[in-house]
Parts: sequence; structure tokens; C-alpha cells
Amino acid sequence: MTVIQVKELTKVFKIPKKEPGLGGAVKGLFRPQYENKTAVDGINFKVEAGEIVGYIGVNGAGKSTTIKMLTGVLMPTSGSVRVLKRDPHRQRVENAREIGVVFGQRTQLWWDLALIESLNLIAKIYNVHPVKYRLALNKFTETLELGELLKTPVRNMSLGQKMRSELAAALIHEPRVVYLDEPTIGLDLIVKERIRDFIKAECIAKGMTVILTTHDLGDIEELCQRVIIIDDGRIIYDGPIETIKKKFGKFREITFETVEDVKALDLPEGAQMIPAEDHKVQIRFDRTISTASKVAGMVMNQIEVRDFSLSEPELSDIVRQIYNGALEREAR
Amino acid sequence: MQTARRDLSIYGAFIGMMPKVFMAYQVWFWVGLVLNIISMAILVYFWRAIYNDTGTISGLGLNQTLTYILLAFIFMPLTSIDVVWEIGSNLREGTIIHHLLRPINFQGMNYAQSLGILGMRLLLQLPMAVVAVLLFGLRFPADLSTWLAFLVSALLGFTVMFFFNWFLACLTFYTTEIWGLGVLIEGMSFFLSGSLVPLVMMPEWIRTIVLSIPFAQALAVPVSLLTGITPLTEAPRVWLVQVLWILGMWLASSLFFKVAVRKITVQGG
Repeated sequence: MTVIQVKELTKVFKIPKKEPGLGGAVKGLFRPQYENKTAVDGINFKVEAGEIVGYIGVNGAGKSTTIKMLTGVLMPTSGSVRVLKRDPHRQRVENAREIGVVFGQRTQLWWDLALIESLNLIAKIYNVHPVKYRLALNKFTETLELGELLKTPVRNMSLGQKMRSELAAALIHEPRVVYLDEPTIGLDLIVKERIRDFIKAECIAKGMTVILTTHDLGDIEELCQRVIIIDDGRIIYDGPIETIKKKFGKFREITFETVEDVKALDLPEGAQMIPAEDHKVQIRFDRTISTASKVAGMVMNQIEVRDFSLSEPELSDIVRQIYNGALEREAR
Repeated sequence: MQTARRDLSIYGAFIGMMPKVFMAYQVWFWVGLVLNIISMAILVYFWRAIYNDTGTISGLGLNQTLTYILLAFIFMPLTSIDVVWEIGSNLREGTIIHHLLRPINFQGMNYAQSLGILGMRLLLQLPMAVVAVLLFGLRFPADLSTWLAFLVSALLGFTVMFFFNWFLACLTFYTTEIWGLGVLIEGMSFFLSGSLVPLVMMPEWIRTIVLSIPFAQALAVPVSLLTGITPLTEAPRVWLVQVLWILGMWLASSLFFKVAVRKITVQGG
């Protein structure tokens, strides 16, 4: 079953252009100038029930804008969104019943109140049956280790505690669709691990559909079978993590352990030396132009090699490549 | 019926939430109490000084005026509604997104919260009522029907102010600036709600202006009923005017909100 369907979705923001100085400020009062910025540019995708989709891209690529349109708080400029066959903007309230949201940088809890008060109120708003609520609360108390936190005001919590509380608040009404916007931002490894385990377990148990945006590729590798990469408002990749490695993993690296220090080498086209520690030579080559045997053969002809290893591309390297490309474009 | 009861309990939960938020800052209670006693004393001595030379002003004697001023002081919370601050800071911090993502009516939720705050603030005025009785000789009216007329009018007037504030709060969607607007509203409601001077003492033209904007509906109008400055027989007419105010402000504010909410461009990549 298709849960989320996005067709030609576009969002253009009108941003007031401000000229510097007092003169500019005054001018802006009388004749405001606007600039159009296309944050999301005609994207298409479908998400099936039970999928966990990683939605990644650099800051300002259009991730959060997309999520906001999916949740219904932001109206698309053009194109359409359907979540569980509804238009989330027009049918905001009906849509809201079915979804859960965590925005890593904004809390949905009542700042001054103990966590349990917030959870009680949320359960009431979503009309969660008291028995079901008890059960869910007990379970979350255990899996998210909320015990002591239930009585703590949110303002007194650490970041990790807050995030665990946010997750409980977002999932207590058993939503069918969940949007997690940077749920592990700023957290230490142990808390991250715990939160990932929790999300995974909940997804399997409830069959929720999840869209996860993050800058932490650990999240993606642990949780998602599928990744959508957005750059400059357009989707540049949509598919399984495995293929992304093939598609973008153009570069490989070979590391040679040498007897002596080596300063320069003749290398085949498409290969280049990158800085490495003493007695090591690291060479990066483009798989589409050269091959491992060409590089290795040529190097071994010139120097004495003790050992060598070929490294598989890591997802983080690949994404760094994509991100770098995006940043260069912006600089131009 | 079932859904009505369910809705009522949801919004009831919001009313109940507010006192808890309030009590989170207990120190403010004591600071506020001291400041309030000082301002009340200033007001009382100010009016006593004015009445030094004359027996009545605009038909009101010193006692009647003092009763009005003290009651207006105690029921001041009727005019202070926090939605401008609330929506403004929600917009600034981006948390409005979470409120809009709840499957309930946003305006209803805010009204319930405002009622909760009002209840809490009135409760916190109890010490001031005691001070007014003991130190400044306030005598509460004993007549039950006067109190009923007042309560109805107070609730209606508060509702007028709520929708009026809601209308103003929608402006923050465009300005994204709240401090100026918030302070302006607080200042205006201090003078224009009739908390300093009974309406009948105002010159004709000022009174016309005050009565054509909503502030007085929440304080001067109900308190005038309570003190007997407006006779009880006038009550139905007063209520009717207030209901008309509510309808008008509700329509205007709902329409404005519908348009304004499209403006949301909650910041953040």
C-alpha cells in the first residue's frame, strides 16, 4: 500500500531583499523587494507502508521544507502531496491524527511541566484509550528508560533525555506515519544507539512508515533500506543504499606499505597520490578511467611494496563527495 | 454528544494545564503581590486627593469611585490575554508547527488555555481582594443577581478580548516581531479598559472612542454592572452588545488567521 505519494512537488519562498544600511532599510519600508527562492523543485517519490526512508542532503537542500509540506503545515506552491490518500494541508486535522513528528531542534513538550503531564495531555488530545495509553507508557518507560524523567520538568533535562522524551511524545498515539527530522542531532554515541534501537523496534512492532532526515549516516545505515538524496531542491538519488555505493562510489583507494618514504610516483590517468603517514602511499583512482591492477602494477614497478590493501567505499565518503559537489556549485 | 463530551474533556485538559505552568515560577507570586499592594495604595490616595475639594464627580461619590477602582483592580486579569505573546514566541521558536500538527482546533486550544490562565490569575488576586477589604475599606456587593450579571458580562467581555487579541496576534505572522505589539496592547488596555478612570467620568468624545474599541468590554463594562454604576435592568442590553462584539471579532479573527497561517515560513533548513 502506498502511504506517501509526492508528485511534482514545488515550494517557492518569497524572501524580502534587504539592502544594507539605514537607507536600504527605509527603502525596504516603502518599496519592499522580493526574491524568489525555490526550496523544493518538482520532486516525485512514493513511500510504501512499513518503509523506513532516509532523506538526506546538505543544509538548505530542501529537506525540512519537504517534511513540512508532507506534514501539512506548509502549503506547496505547486504539485501535490498525498499522505494516506489525504491532502495534508487541506485536511490538516484528520492528517494530524495519523502522524507523529519529532523535530530535533524544536520541542513539542510543555517546557515548564513534568514529562508525564505533557504525555497525559497528548494522550488526551489524540484520544488514546486509557488502557492502551497505560500499556504504551509502561513500555516506553522501559525501552526509553523514562522512569525518573516522568517527574522531571522538560527544562531541567539534558539533550539526550529530552530527545527520548520527544520520541515518547511523538509515538504514544501509535501513528501510522512518522517524520523524524534529525532525531539524533547533538547526541552522544550511547544515546544515539539507544534511540536507533528504539525506532527500529517500534517500526517492526507497529509497521509504521518512517521518513528520517539526518546528517548522521550511522542513522541511515542502521535504520534505512532506502535513501533519497536531495540537493538544491531536486532529488539526485532514490534507491537502496547498496546501489548508491555503486552509483556514486566512483573513487577507490589503495594503500601501499613501502620500505622507504616515497615522494613522487608515475601514475596512470585518473589516479593521484593523497597525503599519508610515513612508509605509506595512498592512491585514489577513478574506477571508470583506471583499474586497481593498473595502479598497483605501475606502483610496484617503481618501488618496493611490503603490503597493500584496497578499501571499499564507505557511505559517508560517498555522501561527502555528493555534498562537496553541491557546495562547489554554490560557490560558483 | 459523545464527540462533544470528548472535545470538552480535551479542551478542559488545556484549562487544567495552565495553573501547573504558572506555579512553576513561585517567586513571581511574591514579587507581584508586593508590587500590586503598592500600586493599589497609589491609586486609592490619588483618588482621595482628587475628591478633597468636591463631593461628586460626574454623579459619582468618593466611595462609589473607590469601589469601582478597587474592583477594577482586582478583576484586571479579565483584560490580559497572552495569545499575542504566545503565538509570537511560538512563531519565533518555530514550535507553532507542533501546535498546528495537533488534531484539534488551534483557536479552541488557545481559548481553553486563556481561560485556565484567567482562572489562575483571578485566584492569585484573592490576596489583593483581602488587602482591598482590610486596608482600603472595600465592600463587595451582597446581591446575588448583581454578581450573576457581572459574571456573565465578565465571561463575555473576556471572550471579546480573546478574539480581539487573536486578531492582533495574526499580525505577528507578518511582522515576526512581538515585543512592540505586546507592550502596545498592554499599555492600551491599561488605559482604555477603564481600569484607572470610570467611563462615566470621561469626556463624551473620549468615551465614544473607548466604547468603539473592544478594551472596555472586558473590564469597565462588567465592573460597572458590579458596582451598580450601570443599573441591573441594563444588563440584558449590555450582554447583547457584548455578544455582538464577540460575533464580529470572532469572524474577523478567524478569517485573518486563515489567511495569516499560509504565511508560515518557519525557519530552519
